[in-house]
Amino acid sequence: MFILLKRLQQLRRTVALPAPAKPSSMALRHVDCGSCNGCEHELTNTAGPHYDLARHGLSVVASPRHADVLLITGTVTTRMAGPLRAAYAAMPEPRLVAALGDCALGAGVIGDPVELLGPAAELLPIDIRVPGCPPTPAAIAEALLGALDLVRRPLREDQR
Amino acid sequence: MTRAPAVEHVEADRWRSAVSAAIAGGAEFDCLYAAQTEQDPVVRLALRHGAQRAVLTARAAGSHLATVVDLLPAAEWDEREAHDIHGVVFDGHEPLRALVAHPADRDAWITSVEGPDVHEVAVGPIHAGVIESGHFRFHVVGERVLHLDLRLFYKHRGLERAAEGLTLAGGLPVAQRACAACAAANAVAYVQAAESLLGLQPDEDLRRNRTFVLELERLYNHLHDLSALCAGVGFDPGAMTFAALKERAQRVNERATGHRFLFGSVSLGSGVGGISIATAAQLSDEVEAIGSEAAAAWRTLTFMDAIQDRLRDVGQLAMRDAEHWGAVGPAARASGIHRDVRTDSDGGLWYPGLEPARPEQPTGDVAARAEVRAAELEQTCAMLTALLAAPPGPGRVTAVHEPAALGAGRVESPRGASFCCVEARDGRITRLHLRTASYANWPVLARVVPGAILPDFPLINKSFELCYACADR
Repeated sequence: MFILLKRLQQLRRTVALPAPAKPSSMALRHVDCGSCNGCEHELTNTAGPHYDLARHGLSVVASPRHADVLLITGTVTTRMAGPLRAAYAAMPEPRLVAALGDCALGAGVIGDPVELLGPAAELLPIDIRVPGCPPTPAAIAEALLGALDLVRRPLREDQR
Repeated sequence: MTRAPAVEHVEADRWRSAVSAAIAGGAEFDCLYAAQTEQDPVVRLALRHGAQRAVLTARAAGSHLATVVDLLPAAEWDEREAHDIHGVVFDGHEPLRALVAHPADRDAWITSVEGPDVHEVAVGPIHAGVIESGHFRFHVVGERVLHLDLRLFYKHRGLERAAEGLTLAGGLPVAQRACAACAAANAVAYVQAAESLLGLQPDEDLRRNRTFVLELERLYNHLHDLSALCAGVGFDPGAMTFAALKERAQRVNERATGHRFLFGSVSLGSGVGGISIATAAQLSDEVEAIGSEAAAAWRTLTFMDAIQDRLRDVGQLAMRDAEHWGAVGPAARASGIHRDVRTDSDGGLWYPGLEPARPEQPTGDVAARAEVRAAELEQTCAMLTALLAAPPGPGRVTAVHEPAALGAGRVESPRGASFCCVEARDGRITRLHLRTASYANWPVLARVVPGAILPDFPLINKSFELCYACADR
């Protein structure tokens, strides 16, 4: 195990994104609304040693109730519209919605219109758009790190 | 498979006896599906017997046909899907539970389990991690699972119906986008089906070209699966080591084909060529490095009792059950079934001298499924370096047979045998059906879980590592 850890440490030093300039955090909840699993693979890759978004305070949380950002992949199928709305309704405000990939953005959609409700933008207000089929982990990392400023809010007087 | 299967029309009243006779003669099941005609739906059953392929077809008069699920237990989901989408009632298949359809009535899809302390645990469709959408209904006593009902098809996009009316070339993106992780396998199965329909045969360059793309897909998928297995037992150093190797494998994909998931690297009638000798040498070095680092990491894991204790004796699939329920791929090989589509005599691809990978002991547990993947990683890296030693050109096809109305293709995806059937009239697709390895193994997984404790489900699930996207379509 120590061999694996040593190699991983070396890898982090050589390939990972630069260390964050200032402390930050953002809790993400992912909802697959009918993707091809490509966006999921790339989103998972952003947690790997090459991108290591956890170092920047970004983590995937199990419940939408704990999330700042809802990450949507895929064109919304008729069957996933209900669960998607429920997840959004469960989120505390202020909340952000990210459309991950061309399907969620409504481009290049393949499928029977009877089974599809449409792109996420037709159901929810989209704050972060990450194009690509699928977007690369680097593109996802860049978009999410850029969104940190959207969730970073000044403290109220009584919190200082 | 380069020749279109022989289509044999069977009278409805002879359906069961014809299927029985074919099975008695040694035929094996590929898939069953329905298609709509002007009057009644028709049911097609694709079978193979060695290199021989056949499709039995019967008209479901008044939308009724006798079931064959007792003769071919692997056809359970196929019949339920044909009922939900094409309305065929399979007489004798009782209860014919909803599969693709999502009726509000829970009795339509849940098996009732009763007794003291039995309760249900509902999971999904949204899962806790970055996972595709699907619903599991566990019936448990304490933490012991008695029964598992799957409710998938939340991601049903109607891809097969969307392909109807398209040209054969136009159907390819539909098959390819069914699933990113199996994009190459599904695309090759599709082009094989379309080319067998058109009577075309690929030359050696094209066979090697497609083999190259398929093995690139296996490489990153198996690395991903080993990473997921380590994550499944909470061993992050292992998960991150294999995740880093997977990232490198996807970068190889991008350099070799222009896409991290190999999208667009398979086409009808030719391959996508153009790897220079210098690039091929660099890619070959990188593949070799990935292979040796993966082997070293795997060796480290095999000597860690804390990991091995969590993998052994969990989620056992007996060989008899694997045969009975039609398990495919690494899951079947881990249970001692020495079958791999790549070793078929004429798979239309290039796998000289390949033998199906075998675990040391075919225990059929999570450990054996991991071991098969590790062994296949070595084979895959060796094949990729052999192919890169003389990078294949785009290749071409030649017309050798009369065009047919129905074609079929079968490919070993990272998860097992994936099958594609295409029917066309006047150059337009009338029916496209994709039966992927995930579709074959989901019902097997549901039968492996009972008896396990609920917290072991994620681990067992990851040892199969099935796609929702290419099952739901």
